[in-house]
Amino acid sequence: MRKIRLTQEGVVLALAVAMCVVFAVALPNFLTTGNLIALVRSVSILGILGLGMGLVVIARGIDLALIATMVVSVSWVLSLTTNSGWNLGPALLLGAGFVILIGLINGILIAYATIPAIFTTLAMGLVVYGVGRGWLFQVDVQNTPDNSAFFNFLGRTTVLGMPMLIVAFLVLALLMWLALRWTRFGRFVYAMGDNPAAARIVGLPVRPMIVAEHVITALIAYAAGLVMAAASSGMSTRVYNSTMIYDVLLVVVLGGIGLSGGRGGVRNILVGTLLVGVLLDGMTIMDVPYIEQNLIKSIILLCAIVVDSIINPRDEQTAQQEQGDI
Amino acid sequence: MSALLELKKATKDFRGVAAIKDVDFTLEQGEIHAILGENGAGKSTLTKVLAGVYQLSSGEMLFDGKPAQLASPADALSQGIAMVFQETNLVPSMTVAQNIYLGDEKMFNRLRGLYIQAQRFLLSLNFYVDPMALVSSLGAGKKQMVEIARAVHHKARLMIFDEPTATLTPEEKFHFFNLVRRLQRDGVSIIFISHALEEALELSDRITVLRDGKVSASDLTKNFDRDRIIQAMVGRSLTDELYSGGDKHRIPRAYGEKVLSIQNLSMGTVVRNTSFSVFAGQITGLFGLVGSGRTETMKIVSGVLKRDFFHGGTISFNEKPVRYRTPRPAVRDGIVYVTEDRKVEGFFETMSIAANIQLGTVAKGINPLAVISMTEARAMARQWTERLAIKAIDPNARIIELSGGNQQKVVIAKSAVQKPKMIIFDEPTRGVDVGSIVEIHRFINELADTGMAVIVISSYLPEILALSDRILVARQGRIVEEMDSKSATEQRIMYAAVH
Repeated sequence: MRKIRLTQEGVVLALAVAMCVVFAVALPNFLTTGNLIALVRSVSILGILGLGMGLVVIARGIDLALIATMVVSVSWVLSLTTNSGWNLGPALLLGAGFVILIGLINGILIAYATIPAIFTTLAMGLVVYGVGRGWLFQVDVQNTPDNSAFFNFLGRTTVLGMPMLIVAFLVLALLMWLALRWTRFGRFVYAMGDNPAAARIVGLPVRPMIVAEHVITALIAYAAGLVMAAASSGMSTRVYNSTMIYDVLLVVVLGGIGLSGGRGGVRNILVGTLLVGVLLDGMTIMDVPYIEQNLIKSIILLCAIVVDSIINPRDEQTAQQEQGDI
Repeated sequence: MSALLELKKATKDFRGVAAIKDVDFTLEQGEIHAILGENGAGKSTLTKVLAGVYQLSSGEMLFDGKPAQLASPADALSQGIAMVFQETNLVPSMTVAQNIYLGDEKMFNRLRGLYIQAQRFLLSLNFYVDPMALVSSLGAGKKQMVEIARAVHHKARLMIFDEPTATLTPEEKFHFFNLVRRLQRDGVSIIFISHALEEALELSDRITVLRDGKVSASDLTKNFDRDRIIQAMVGRSLTDELYSGGDKHRIPRAYGEKVLSIQNLSMGTVVRNTSFSVFAGQITGLFGLVGSGRTETMKIVSGVLKRDFFHGGTISFNEKPVRYRTPRPAVRDGIVYVTEDRKVEGFFETMSIAANIQLGTVAKGINPLAVISMTEARAMARQWTERLAIKAIDPNARIIELSGGNQQKVVIAKSAVQKPKMIIFDEPTRGVDVGSIVEIHRFINELADTGMAVIVISSYLPEILALSDRILVARQGRIVEEMDSKSATEQRIMYAAVH
């Protein structure tokens, strides 16, 4: 098993690098500064969302409300600052409070009302979007406030030649890696993803943990939204209706985090992000029509899920046959 | 009699590791054949090859004198080989009749006709099962009957049972034995895997013992006795082996402080108004047949059962009334429950031995940001693999790669590192090989000697007698009898347990 997982990561990384090389050679526009900046932007946003999704998936959950949380919270913050004259500080805090509330509701419904995560978050996504679009702001596109130090800092500055966006992603990835690999919290996440019943009996706080994960994931979505707003000077609610949630799932599954839980880590998210980011960027440069892009992505996602379920079977009986119980 | 089935030099390997190797096996027409062996000896693999679940890596299989190619269990069934797995393969939400005829339905299925047909069929087999009952409402014994009925319906000429009696009560076992003999009279050949040697000796015509994937003995049952089987299984003589329990020279431990006191505990129809106490520094054996509520009682005590199932009564732990809604506070107070089903709720299969054991201590902590020490994990693993004689190449080996006995030891170590005041073992040696049983029993005794309150739930009388200082017997949801280990005998305990 260990071997297979390593090769899956290796294969994905090799694919991403190969694709980079091919695009660099075949597409004259690929290596231009403009495109590389676009690539970095999309990769950081996708990567940050992937971190959030990865966390819940490792713990055997899923969060389909991720995009709605991101879009609505950040749009609201922007609307408050540009239209209602709020200062950015309080607006950001309010936005954080809002996503924490979404995370709490998700987590409580899943943990205490024992509704499957996939349905809870699917419905919550619709609710959040509806609330946002109905009450919190009126127009589709919200712009970032002019000359906002915060958004300029996120969107325009560089550290050691690297755009702040990618630095933000890397810092979050590092924090996530530390949390998953080295803390008690991380160990709990893996234990719950591996075997929820055993985790409960050994004395893990399973339900509070589910709530905590969803709150953290919602906060990560908020961070992704702020990065996105900084990168493109605004937030469009149409993002919610795009296929972005599937891109994020693609990152997670392609990277090698099994949907059956307990497997994978930040490294998988990094390679998954790289591959998906390069792929999307290349297709855009090649001017592949939107519909065909979606078709290609969906086929890759389907294949990735199939491969995932073969490598990391969810069902005990198949798992045994794979191992060959003696 | 001619051979119904023959294996010649059969080998099956998984990724280069042979689970069975060069096995020659013959099954006569109408024979009851027991396959015995320690865990990991290759019994399950052998039977799964016969049932079409696995295909041989090399070697030959003859069925009815003709080379047999079984692509799948369905293929095997169509040729007359049916396997009844340890976990049943029935659809719980369907009725008995629907299950029997599953996969065989006519295009337009009239349920009434189906039920009448099923009723006749079940009566012809002397099975008293209501064809209209939902399978989910049946007990283990009746489920097995339905599985057998399904196999008979498919005109199986060879039936394979994997641990058929593991989940049965003694009465159900008795019925099962009669049934097997009746099937034999009808010309059906039977293979069964068992851990219970007495059953094999009583029921079978021929016994094959496997060791390390090879046949170590195969002979008519009348030429075997307990000693010879055990010797073939382990390659060493264990005459006065693990169950020195009948031995009355052992002095029972004294009563320590009263740790647990239960008054009028109830839960639906499963636990009814039961009251008893448990003391420190000794082993309390808890015996009961399936349906006696013994596991449920202990699961309520340790918070494993959801609180909705708590219907009244009081539990006091160390003189303090407690009511745990999840296992976490129980674990933190010092009550741990070692599950009877390690695969489902015992260990973490993606994790190493070290990580599994360490999780016990990690789980007790509060601060989520506390750093996990890998050095500590390795040290713990080293200490416990030694203490419990866990056989593994290195502590970073994944737990799924171990045999059942070693997995059980890891699960036990994971609970022991939580430093409990009271530890509950539910069927500590189920599906565990003979060698590991000795070590697990030794460890349980050690725990009691250190002053811990130990509860052992078991359906195996020799185990209860061997371990317990004090024996509680449960029947129909309550503790009905208490005995000290000196006066207890298998007969007395069983007399109290049956109704």
